[in-house]
Amino acid sequence: MNTRHQPLYAYLLAALVMVGLSYGLPLLLPGDYIEAVYGSSQVVLDAEQEAQLRQELGGRKGFAAHLWGLVTLDWGHSLALQTPVSRLVLEALPWTLLLLGTAHLLALVLGFIAGVEAAWRRGGRLEKAGVGGATMLQGVPEIGSGVLLLLLFAYHLGWFPAGGATTAYAELSGGPWLLDVLHHLALPLLTLVLAYLPGNFLLTRAGMVMILGSPYLETARAKGLPPLRVRYVHAARNALLPVLTRFGLRLAFMITGALVVETIFAYPGLGTLLFTAIGSRDLPVIQAVVLLAALLMLLINLGLALLHRRLDPRIGHAL
Amino acid sequence: MKTEIKQLTVTYREDDHRLLALDRVDLQLLPGRITALVGESGSGKTTLGKALLGLLPPAATVDGQILLGEDDLTALDETARNQLRWRRAAVVPQNGAAALNPAYRLLDQVAEPLRRQRGVKRREAEERALAGLAELGLDRDQARRYPHELSGGQVQRGLLAMALILDPPLLILDEPTAALDCLSKNHLAQLFRRLAAQQKSLLLITHDLALARQTADQAAVIYLGRIMEYLPAGQLDRARHPYTVALYRSFPGMDAVRDLGGIRGDAFYRLLHAHPAVNVQQHRTCGHDHQHLVTPASNHPEEHAPPGADEDGHAPAAGCLFAPRCTQAEDACRREAPALNRLREPDAPQPDIDQGHEHQIRCRRGGIIDLLCCRKTSKSYGPVTALHPVDLELRAGEVCCLVGESGSGKTTLAMLAAGALEPDRGRVSFAGRDLADWRRRDPLGLAARIGIIHQQPAEAVSHRFTVFEIVAEPLRIQRPDLDAAALEQRVLTSLAEVRLATQPEFLRRYPHQLNLGAIQRLCLARALIQQPQLLVADEPTSALDPSVQAKVLKLLLELQIEKGLTLLLVTHDLGLARKIADRLAVMEAGRLVESGPAARVLSRPAHSCTARLIAAATTT
Repeated sequence: MNTRHQPLYAYLLAALVMVGLSYGLPLLLPGDYIEAVYGSSQVVLDAEQEAQLRQELGGRKGFAAHLWGLVTLDWGHSLALQTPVSRLVLEALPWTLLLLGTAHLLALVLGFIAGVEAAWRRGGRLEKAGVGGATMLQGVPEIGSGVLLLLLFAYHLGWFPAGGATTAYAELSGGPWLLDVLHHLALPLLTLVLAYLPGNFLLTRAGMVMILGSPYLETARAKGLPPLRVRYVHAARNALLPVLTRFGLRLAFMITGALVVETIFAYPGLGTLLFTAIGSRDLPVIQAVVLLAALLMLLINLGLALLHRRLDPRIGHAL
Repeated sequence: MKTEIKQLTVTYREDDHRLLALDRVDLQLLPGRITALVGESGSGKTTLGKALLGLLPPAATVDGQILLGEDDLTALDETARNQLRWRRAAVVPQNGAAALNPAYRLLDQVAEPLRRQRGVKRREAEERALAGLAELGLDRDQARRYPHELSGGQVQRGLLAMALILDPPLLILDEPTAALDCLSKNHLAQLFRRLAAQQKSLLLITHDLALARQTADQAAVIYLGRIMEYLPAGQLDRARHPYTVALYRSFPGMDAVRDLGGIRGDAFYRLLHAHPAVNVQQHRTCGHDHQHLVTPASNHPEEHAPPGADEDGHAPAAGCLFAPRCTQAEDACRREAPALNRLREPDAPQPDIDQGHEHQIRCRRGGIIDLLCCRKTSKSYGPVTALHPVDLELRAGEVCCLVGESGSGKTTLAMLAAGALEPDRGRVSFAGRDLADWRRRDPLGLAARIGIIHQQPAEAVSHRFTVFEIVAEPLRIQRPDLDAAALEQRVLTSLAEVRLATQPEFLRRYPHQLNLGAIQRLCLARALIQQPQLLVADEPTSALDPSVQAKVLKLLLELQIEKGLTLLLVTHDLGLARKIADRLAVMEAGRLVESGPAARVLSRPAHSCTARLIAAATTT
């Protein structure tokens, strides 16, 4: 076996373990769909009706069938919505990707640049204010800032819609549709960027400050290079690594991270899907979303490991 | 391009004080010349290197001029300075691989100045960088490696190739060989010579004195930010400033065979405690500034200079900066700051003055003084000529061993030097005064300065004196004002130094109750108790066992470092001479046949008698 590919085998094994867990863990969840739906309702089922209902909903598949179903995109039917799970997930996924992906990228780029510039001006008033502000902002949870933004901009000022990803039944297309999407995106996006940016900013700044004192940066300055090149190509490049690691780890929590914000803004992403599915014990949906999140985590980890090797040549030796 | 540093002063602002890193430094770096900048850590060497590139941190205040060709670096703004960097002056930084960006291949970093400063296309820049690296012995494969994949020597050559890529007229080498084996070091040294031959100016910042001596044309010795001595680098082993001499004596070069000395005390930071909110401009005009010398460790103020600035408006130094550590400092040295003067006497065997090298020294006393000077001194006992005319100089703080066969005149010369005998012809001077004349006018004063240990210890003590009386006698004569307690204290200290007992019973003993080794140490204690400047000792450890002998010799070396004790030691033990002598003088049949640095005399004896002695010593 080629040692270079060993990590790949490890990743495959991990994926298999995750499929197993996603199959087994929900079995430990107390109660099932029928209890959740009828437990608190006025309708009382007798034993025969309950058995019939269970029959209709279908029993649990074995693990092999479950695995085969995953590969063939047959992820079962949602119990509550009576729709194929794959369709539900594929409908929700683009919205989550749009919201979370944009938020993460914006927070990464803006936080990184702000961190680099702040470190370059260390000791200055602007830098001190930035660090103080970011530290405070980092302490505010998404749920707090999200609700505040919602109150201010949606209810009081009315500048942005309070929920949803598009205006319902508007049947827009083309440019107006895009504007409508962005309009709906603004508040949840802002909430997430505010949550992610301070961490990136502080991490970048701290890394940069260390690098600014290093001998190789003095060499770069001695070489008479343009200041921007010294700052970004020589210094920031080496501060990028921890920030990217953080970015990747955060990205892996994309689905669960979206849960709070998507719920507050009623954004039709995977978070909302998962949240409602948990409420109604809609097991196939929960399984699918959780498994997707786990696999995403693995994929991102793999990507990060490969990226690290490219970014810091010393890491190739350590792996 | 000529590089000229004029009156360069650099201070670093710290919380409530300023640190004086460079103090009115003048230095010329001429094309084709390698100038070595040597000194202890913290003496300002690296600050000077950084100043030449305008790379001092924002906390630094720069005063004076740095002329790179026509342009004064201190007068330019950052953009203009950036234009000069690497084109006019490039640096091989210290720290080796840490000076290279870990994220880029060596080749890219070497080619970078070509691409960004000269706008050369990528492919061509890489070709030229590869050629430059190949010239220094790095092949294409090594060029494409990352810094962490290269060895220390490869990194050093890579850094050098990077510095040379724009063909700058000035090259600053900051400890370029610090982490290298001696083969790589020699290789680089030859390379530096070749670069100098291409009419580049090289500034070699180093504390490797051997490298400086072999490689450089001239050396500037810097202490606490001031140039103390400026001399042809080849003469570093014959330097005159007490600091340079002590520095050289501390250096474990292959030509040092004796035990290493070190310089007494510690270097201090120079902190300027200005009046509140006084910046350089203001203090230049109002001129109120205090300078403290502060140890790096304790921040303890060592000396307070009187307020008031010198004519340049700079903070005044409290006399000579090196005075607190100098073994020949006088009171005047602590008051007057010495200027950098041309050395008056033609000291070097081959003066290099025609080549523009000159020897300048910042010492009020003109450098290490000649403490003892014999000129054509001869002595006969009746018809027997014990000593033919001999010339011998002994510098202050030097250990000179007189070696030779029995009857070669060693003891006669030693006793002449001690003033115990008077020469028939010629003269002996001590500290610049005629010894015979001094002895007639002020025998007591002379006796306090020269200690003598005679060859036969048992004959040299009075058998009617107790141990205490023997050791105390010189002090009783010299210092009748000392009270009994102080006298006893001095005697006990002296006895302890030579590893003798200090119990009352021992003090009451008589010489016949002691063994020969103890009596010899008694003589040593007696000679040292008055803290002489010169100790003339005739076989002072012949009766001691090796362990006690080692301790006594260590004591003598320590006195040399701490008090500047000058030692004229007569011995026929070459092994002993080798461990403690700075200089060896070899005598044969009443003649001084050879004299020179101990290591040189021992490794390359010039006289057959010396060779015979060495051969005999190594076979037995």
